[in-house]
Parts: sequence; C-alpha cells; structure tokens
Amino acid sequence: MFARRFLISFPIFAVIFVIQETIVSQFRLFGSGFSLFLIFTLLWSALGTPELGALTGFGAGLLMDLSQSSSGPVGQWTLIMILAGFSISYLGYGDDNFRGNPISLVVIVAIAVPITRLVYLILGLMFGGELGSTLQIFISLIASGLWTVAVVPLLMPFVTRIHSGLFQDLSRG
Amino acid sequence: MRNGGDNRGRLLLISLIVTSLFLITLDLRGVQVLGGLRNGSQTVLSPLQSVAANVFRPVGNFFSDVTHLGRTRGEIEKLKANNEKLRQALINRKNADAELSQLKSVLDLAGTAKYKVVNAKVISLGSTSSFTQTISIDAGTNNGIRQNMTVITGLGLVGVVKMSYPNSALIQLATDPAFRVGARVAGSQQIGILSGQGTGKGVLQLLDNRTTLKVGDVILARGSQHNRPFVPGVPIGEVTSVDNAAGAITQTADVKFYVNFSSLSIVAVVVGAPQSDPRDALVPKAPVPTPVPTVTIYAKPSESPTP
Repeated sequence: MFARRFLISFPIFAVIFVIQETIVSQFRLFGSGFSLFLIFTLLWSALGTPELGALTGFGAGLLMDLSQSSSGPVGQWTLIMILAGFSISYLGYGDDNFRGNPISLVVIVAIAVPITRLVYLILGLMFGGELGSTLQIFISLIASGLWTVAVVPLLMPFVTRIHSGLFQDLSRG
Repeated sequence: MRNGGDNRGRLLLISLIVTSLFLITLDLRGVQVLGGLRNGSQTVLSPLQSVAANVFRPVGNFFSDVTHLGRTRGEIEKLKANNEKLRQALINRKNADAELSQLKSVLDLAGTAKYKVVNAKVISLGSTSSFTQTISIDAGTNNGIRQNMTVITGLGLVGVVKMSYPNSALIQLATDPAFRVGARVAGSQQIGILSGQGTGKGVLQLLDNRTTLKVGDVILARGSQHNRPFVPGVPIGEVTSVDNAAGAITQTADVKFYVNFSSLSIVAVVVGAPQSDPRDALVPKAPVPTPVPTVTIYAKPSESPTP
C-alpha cells in the first residue's frame, strides 16, 4: 500500500522535474535563482514520515542526477537528497503543531535548501570539484534561501493538498 | 512495534545510502549504463527545452532587463509609451534582433580567423541547484559537435563543449570554477593559465616569473594540441587588475571576460580550426573616441574710448 502510493507520487515529481529543466532554467535570476524541484522535494519530505522522506529523496536525487547540468557523478545528488529528505522529515515527525504551521514549514525548507546545496558543494569538493569564488557561493546560498521563502508559500497549498490526498489515509490507518 | 518500525526505517535508510554509494562508485569507474541514462534524459528533454526557450526567453530577457535596470532605463522608458500588444511585439522583435546581431558578430569573428563553425541557440541556462556554470545549446552530434570543442560568440570565448548529445550539447562556461584554458597576452606573447571563478572575471596566472602584466592587456586563447579543446587566437578578456604580491612565485591578474554570460542567446561551436594560427588578428579594436568639434573665437580688443 505504502509502496503503491509512493509510486503514484512519481509522475508528480517527473512533471516538476520537467518544469524545472525546461522552464525555470530559462531565467537568469538574482543569485543564480532557485531550484523548484529541490524546494518541492524538501517540502514534500517535510510533510511525511522519515522513511517516506528518505524514499522521496532517493527518487528525487536520482532524477537530479539524470539532469544534464548535474556536474557530479551519478549518485551524488541521490546520496544528499536521501539524507536531506530523511533529516527534514525526522525534524518535524510526530509534532502536529510543527507540521500544521505553515511558517515553520517555510522556515525549515528555507534553511534546508542552502544546507543541502552546501553539502552538495562539500561532497563535490571531495570528488575533485572546484570551489571558485567563495563570495559568489555565499551570495548564491543566501539567495537560494530567500528565493525559497518566496516560493514555498506559493507551492504549499498545492503540495499539502496532494500529499494529504495520497498519504493521509495511510497515516490514519 | 515501535522498535520494529524504527529498525525498518534504519534498514531502509542504510539500504538507500548504500545504493547511492554504489551508483557513485559505478559512475566514477566509468560504467556506461549510467552515462547512457543521462544521455537518454537529455535526448527526451532537449526538444522541450527548445520549445520553452522560444516561449519563455522573451520573458527571461524581460527579467534580465529588470535586473540591469540602470543600463536599460532608456529602453524601458520607450517601451512604457507603447500599448501592451505593441510592447509584446517589441520584446519579441528585440529578442530576434539581439540574436541576429550576435549571429552576425560571431560570423565576423569566425570569418576573420577562418574558423569553421556551427551556430546554435541557447536553450537552457544550466543548473540552479549546483554551483556549475553551464548552458545547453540546440545542436549536437547530428550537427558535427563533439566533446571538447571551443565555443565562441562575436565577442570571444564562451567555453567548451562538455557533453554532446544527438540534438543538444552541454557547454561549460569560462566562468565555471572548474574551467581552465591556456592563455597568452596579445602582443607580448606571455603565457599563463586562466581559470574561471564563478563570476564575470577569471584569474590569469603567468607561467614565467620574469614577465609582467599590466592593466588593459588583452588575453587570447593559446590553443591546444590538434585544436581541441581550444583553437588558438580566440579573445578571452582584458586584464583589470594585477596582483603584485611580494611572496608570489608568478604574477596573477584578474581578467574581465569580453562575453556577457548573462545574455547569451546565439553561440558558435568551432568544428574546424584554421590551418594557421590567427595570432593577434582577433584582438578587439580599441574604441575610437568621437571627435569633439572645437570652436575658436577670435576676440578683438575694442578701441579704447577717446576722452
């Protein structure tokens, strides 16, 4: 039952991934813009159980690894997104006050996005990547957090509705 | 029951982490299946990206104009005067004109150097989640584009083909932190290595400690063996500041790229290099100051009044 519902969510992620790769990537915004897919995944994970968060991170990370603009080895995003998905869902697990409060969701996703990108950067350096300008990285990380604060409230009604439609019956059962 | 659930969760987490580490190991060992998956996803996405580029690029240009409001204030003022329909038409026209202008200038540069080029349109501006600086273009192996080919615009070096797919290619921009190019200073022929920094400037490190750089020096690509990844003579940028640190073994300098990477729409991939090195033929001409007309007034002293 759990696996079936998880698989049902896959087309939603595929659509968001295509939107990210085709439309969002057309805009050169301040601080290198935002990743709609990353924000969506972390928000989705924050609403579920830690197991679901890890599985969601795994699926989303695989898609991010398949992106042609992904510079690291296949599996790098997968590893990071598993940890990010698990961590963000573990933080609010069992606390309905936390999950039910939109502001706490915005804050946690806005913090999680730059941290996830920072971990990706650090892991990339361990795989032999280059750092470049630290100021630019700093600006990019701060900007991604700010963009997330702007984007999450727009996504939240859509994400919470679909997520509860898919998984609420399961959590009650 | 709770412990059982926790154990299942831990087991799942560990299994997923092990799977991802397995994928990383396979990829780093060069297993072709994973590269094929990336190629496949790009083959599926590139037609969609082309369509999205046509539809959303005018909107993207609009956002870019807003970002650079100071520079485009005059244009914006003009656009405000028109009605909504005319404004949309103007944005579309502006987009086409800019592409035409970029295409003309890139053909001029390629013609001067006798490069054989394939022109391509930028269909995607790269990842927003990682720190790499890349673009995707709508030409690939079907158009003769292969890995490690030089990419230029009319102003100079854009980057290098990192991956090529049947109908698209991924270009690593010169601003990417992992980008390195052998460079030489036009005129003095000093050589060095220029690296991207993730910003509009690169850092040039000279190889010889007896040579010196000065602000305004023009930097050109030195060229690679068999002209791949870099053909010789492509303008890269201009030295804006020189680091004269006392303890440094060789001199380093900041180089401002000629190409404006935030407004790329048409680029050219050099698929055939010239027989001979164009040397300094592609060095951009220095701007000629507009002569200001001078007016000479001859003043005659008035006759002194007679008492």
